[in-house]
Amino acid sequence: MCAHTIMAIRSKKWLCATLLFALALADPVIVLAAPGDYRGGYDTPDYRTQSEDLLMRKGSAADLLGAVRNPPLGLPQVPIPANNPISATKIKLGRKLFFDRRLSLNNTMSCAMCHIPEQGFTNNEINTAVGIEGRTVRRNTPTSYNVAYLKRLFWDGRETTLEHQIWAPLLSHQEMGNPSPGAVIEKIRALPDYRGLFQAAFEGRGVSMETLGMALASYERTLVSADSPFDRWYYGKQDKAISVSAKRGFELFTGAAGCSACHKIGTASALFTDNAMHNTGVGYARTMQTMPATRKVTLAPGISVDVPTTIINSVGDARLADLGLSEVTQKPTDRWKYRTPSLRNVALTAPYMHDGSMASLGEVVEFYNQGGFFNESIDSRIHPLALTKSQRADLVAFLMTLTGSNVATLVDDAFAAPVGDWREGDPEWAHSAVRNGLGRHEEDTQ
Amino acid sequence: MIKARWKRGIGAALFVAMAGGLTAGALLSSPAVADETCQSPYMAKIVGQEDFVYVWTLGVEGVGDGQDKLVTVSVNPKSSSFGKVVSSVSVGGRNEAHHSGFTDDRRFLWAASLDTNKIFVFDVHSNPAKPKLTKTIKDFVRKSGGVVGPHTTYALPGRMMITGLSNNKDHGGRTALVEYTNDGKYVSTHWMPTDQNLHGAKKTGKYADGYGYDVRALPRLNVMITSSFTGWSNYMMDFGKMLGDKEAMKRFGNTMVVWDLHTRKPKEVLDVPGAPLEVRCAWNPNHNYCFTTTALTSKIWLVYMDEKNKWHAKAVADIGDPSKVPLPVDISISSDDSHLWVNTFMDGNTRLFDVSDPFHPKMVFEKQIGSQVNMVSSSWDGKRLYFTTSLLSNWDKKGKADEQFFKAYDWDGRQLKEQFAIDFMKAKLGRPHQMRFGAYSLYAEKAPNSQTTLADRR
Ligand code: HEC
Ligand code: HEC
Repeated sequence: MCAHTIMAIRSKKWLCATLLFALALADPVIVLAAPGDYRGGYDTPDYRTQSEDLLMRKGSAADLLGAVRNPPLGLPQVPIPANNPISATKIKLGRKLFFDRRLSLNNTMSCAMCHIPEQGFTNNEINTAVGIEGRTVRRNTPTSYNVAYLKRLFWDGRETTLEHQIWAPLLSHQEMGNPSPGAVIEKIRALPDYRGLFQAAFEGRGVSMETLGMALASYERTLVSADSPFDRWYYGKQDKAISVSAKRGFELFTGAAGCSACHKIGTASALFTDNAMHNTGVGYARTMQTMPATRKVTLAPGISVDVPTTIINSVGDARLADLGLSEVTQKPTDRWKYRTPSLRNVALTAPYMHDGSMASLGEVVEFYNQGGFFNESIDSRIHPLALTKSQRADLVAFLMTLTGSNVATLVDDAFAAPVGDWREGDPEWAHSAVRNGLGRHEEDTQ
Repeated sequence: MIKARWKRGIGAALFVAMAGGLTAGALLSSPAVADETCQSPYMAKIVGQEDFVYVWTLGVEGVGDGQDKLVTVSVNPKSSSFGKVVSSVSVGGRNEAHHSGFTDDRRFLWAASLDTNKIFVFDVHSNPAKPKLTKTIKDFVRKSGGVVGPHTTYALPGRMMITGLSNNKDHGGRTALVEYTNDGKYVSTHWMPTDQNLHGAKKTGKYADGYGYDVRALPRLNVMITSSFTGWSNYMMDFGKMLGDKEAMKRFGNTMVVWDLHTRKPKEVLDVPGAPLEVRCAWNPNHNYCFTTTALTSKIWLVYMDEKNKWHAKAVADIGDPSKVPLPVDISISSDDSHLWVNTFMDGNTRLFDVSDPFHPKMVFEKQIGSQVNMVSSSWDGKRLYFTTSLLSNWDKKGKADEQFFKAYDWDGRQLKEQFAIDFMKAKLGRPHQMRFGAYSLYAEKAPNSQTTLADRR
């Protein structure tokens, strides 16, 4: 048993799948940076499991500070706010917080339960997120890779800085369910394993609304990922770094298909987003479409049935509408506008779009080829493309070249992070800690 | 373009979780004392009429105190409190109360919770009419090394074997069995076999998903059998949302695992596609088989050992019309192994199958219990049946069809006759889930002459 071939394969689920298939699973393989319960081909009768062992999900810490100071090929300098200079202690503290399930009201949800490292720092197993007590979150979890560069956060662009962003999930009734900022802060204060950590990272300052955001943001900023095959070809001038098909895909992406109008590529670096809001019709279709009478439901590998929508509705709450930017600005012209997502590591972040409605990159390219989902305020850059089948395959091949070379390193580092679960001596919830006098108010120097 | 990297030093990790097996030989020789049909054979048994049914009940936000609670219903027709709730113990918060099980001495009831991973231990012997919460295990996840969703709490000699449903890394379905002593001390974690690490088991088919759900033991065969459901993200999700989510629907268990009971090592992984849930093993010492039903594909499966001591899994019957996804949930085998009750959640029906030929079950009776139904518990003599409605807090029906009740029936071999029903919503209790029986006779006690009910005390 011990003589197994154990490999770490970076990126590309489809390649992993092909490879695993080729090996016929004779040798169990660790596919670091790939989901542990990959289920490609599940709808076919010859589906085979490719499950990884949780006992072997172990990693080693990486030099995250180095990465953020010297971002990989293809990315610009990481913007760092003047009032939150980056440091190794902040990063380490932020990483501990990111994986700490005690940051939710009932100790079940951490940031990482939704932004799962080996699933592209998103969740490949569900279309839209599931929060505390199983509550419905309307939207798909976006990746945490390269969030440092985003000028507007969330699909509807409603938040501006990583430091502030944390309070949305922490206080959302649907996500982490905490009753108030004070409750979160008091709880962290009372957790014995955080004693002194904020003080060490923030020049004597204890945990507060500000320092908590600064610590988490510092870790998130280190998740920069590039030096992909594309970067090595385009910026590194390595001609063989990507395939001929991917090169043709690039020509389409920046030419006839018009993708780079929004998914920007610069001369020295590329974010693959314009940080702007656009209506491509995905939100319109989701909110305005009527459900067909039956829906195909997969019951087991290779077995699916058409289930009457009435049955599905009998056990489900009504689907919530999603108006995109209009929910923030109230303007009718902003209906169904969403922030352009970066496409870096897009091979790892399925399912796609703000509602997770598209399962594969092939499906996304079909969507653009047909001109998005038409509605009266659709972006003028979205229109039927009339791409041939091989052109569509070329576009997909190009999108597959955007996986960063450091993905395995970042995931490996995340595996080394402690997962925070309740232990004897921890407060059960914030107010009891305060009542018992465990809260340590004196450290707050603001 | 594949970049491969060799990683050293992981081999050692392969064998870490294989310790276990601390309770040794005694297991094999102990006689299979029986109990109400689905319980552990290691447990003391109620010979006659049960006095109480303990209903592990989910709190509902806005209904009563909104907390999970253990509700005790008096079910002995001779009692003055017959048909009434005699006790209700709230445990604090909503934890996704689900299954519960007694220790082998039947003095304590371990009630587990799928969301917050707490295990509530109730003393049921000091006063069987009024269980007392004596201990709450809150660090199950940390102690077990990341197992989430404690489900079945199954009595082995001196031990509780607890199945997990999920894990603290991705809230998916990969999980483990976790072993505790009766007094609440963590012993060990036995991870379910995966492709990457089969833990010495043989993958007999196409799947080794590492998922878990129920566990049962056949001591005389030195075998433990587990089934597989789905992870936290799915079992906590709105059911309608999940049915419409193509990715989520791929994350169900398709396996059962045969374990060596003595060493706690997995021996074989069997393909049983479509989420095999409850495991019910035959009682007759010559019957080397167990039944399960697959929730999604709506089939009865037989897991059996052949003459060469080899284990197989075979689909032996359909339950209702599988294309309508009736969702078989709880099942209950009769003590003579001749019949199997099967509840289907979606249509609220209970069905009785004649399984005297286990390879050819035949449906002989069908009746609607309510707009939805989940659990069924039978007395040892098969004459009394109890039903409850709740499946999972976010899977139960929405709107008016979300009936929540406990119903007691008599079964005369032909008809189910309702004795009484308790509307758990009207009583502001919540969603009733799993039922376990209690009796004074277990503790050589006589029933008091009269009992107060909760209503009397108000
Ligand atoms: C219940 C799942 C869940 C949890 C827990 C969660 N997130 Fe998220 N996260 C999401 C979803 C869904 C979105 C998109 C929400 C939207 O656009 O309205 C998101 C968006 C974000 C974004 C914006 C990314 C972008 O592309 O705009 C950041 C940054 C982020 N989360 C960080 C965190 C941090 C830090 C935590 C922990 C404090 C956290 N998340 C906890 C699901 C979750
Ligand atoms: C008008 C601006 C615009 C253009 C042009 C555009 N996109 Fe997009 N793209 C977006 C926006 C906005 C979204 C998010 C839409 C949503 O979620 O509703 C998106 C989403 C995507 C996603 C999903 C990413 C994820 O993480 O979910 C992919 C892949 C993608 N686009 C590829 C392309 C390709 C390929 C093209 C060219 C054929 C293209 N885009 C053209 C704006 C644009």
